[in-house]
Amino acid sequence: MKAIVIGAHLLRDDIEPVAAAVGVGDLYLSTLEVPDDQPLGDRELLVKVAGLRGRLLDVATFVAIRYGFALSTPDDALAKCAPHLARWKRILTAHREHVEMTLKVVASSTLSRPDRHDFTSGAGYLRALHAARQAADVDPQFREAAERVLVPLAVRNHWQHRDEKSVELALLVPRDRLDDVKAAGEELRRTNPEIPFLLSGPWPLEVFADADRE
Amino acid sequence: MTDVDLEELPLLETLDHLLDRGVIIAGEAVISIGDVDLLYLGLNVVLANVDAIIRTSQPKK
Repeated sequence: MKAIVIGAHLLRDDIEPVAAAVGVGDLYLSTLEVPDDQPLGDRELLVKVAGLRGRLLDVATFVAIRYGFALSTPDDALAKCAPHLARWKRILTAHREHVEMTLKVVASSTLSRPDRHDFTSGAGYLRALHAARQAADVDPQFREAAERVLVPLAVRNHWQHRDEKSVELALLVPRDRLDDVKAAGEELRRTNPEIPFLLSGPWPLEVFADADRE
Repeated sequence: MTDVDLEELPLLETLDHLLDRGVIIAGEAVISIGDVDLLYLGLNVVLANVDAIIRTSQPKK
């Protein structure tokens, strides 16, 4: 068996009985055991892990681990997570009452996605992909409106390029302001009906678990 | 947004977060060409799309 890691948590009680807990230093990893030969790309497994993420977030905020990290032994967990543990503990303690919300906005200006066949090297193609993503931008008036209604509700915010067609505002918000964030999203939709966007969440600590955005 | 059934949006968004967000544990080995970090080594990121791999491979500013 192998254990798919879902997140890093402050307390064992934040995980059990929703998922299995594996201790790593002062923290705990939430995991789901699957057979060794279970393909990680299986759709049902993806949906199951996504569901567990949601249920775990209902209990307490955690640091999300990118899907695909699987453990063979508890020692394996400690070896791979040791460099992160002190920072995770600091983040989890500071943001126990916070969750993330994301506002994904269709870009108003874009570069078309490069065609692989136009490039003689893989590196050139990857650079062009990156350039196309960075060129995506949000309508300035919408950006201003989004910042006016959403940012005051957040303790942290960060605009980031997602792909060549969309830009995203990530918000770290107190759990007790979630209804206010959703109401602000509705106001944004009313006042900017021509701009397609998706306000979603709550999510665990994903963007703000990054060392650069603590 | 792309033309999808609205009922599928929450699932798509959830899977997007599952596959494309969060801390990457494995895959610290990075293949670089010139001054551009291109690819993580390791099976744990094969489910991420190419853009995600590039993004996570960018040098921290």
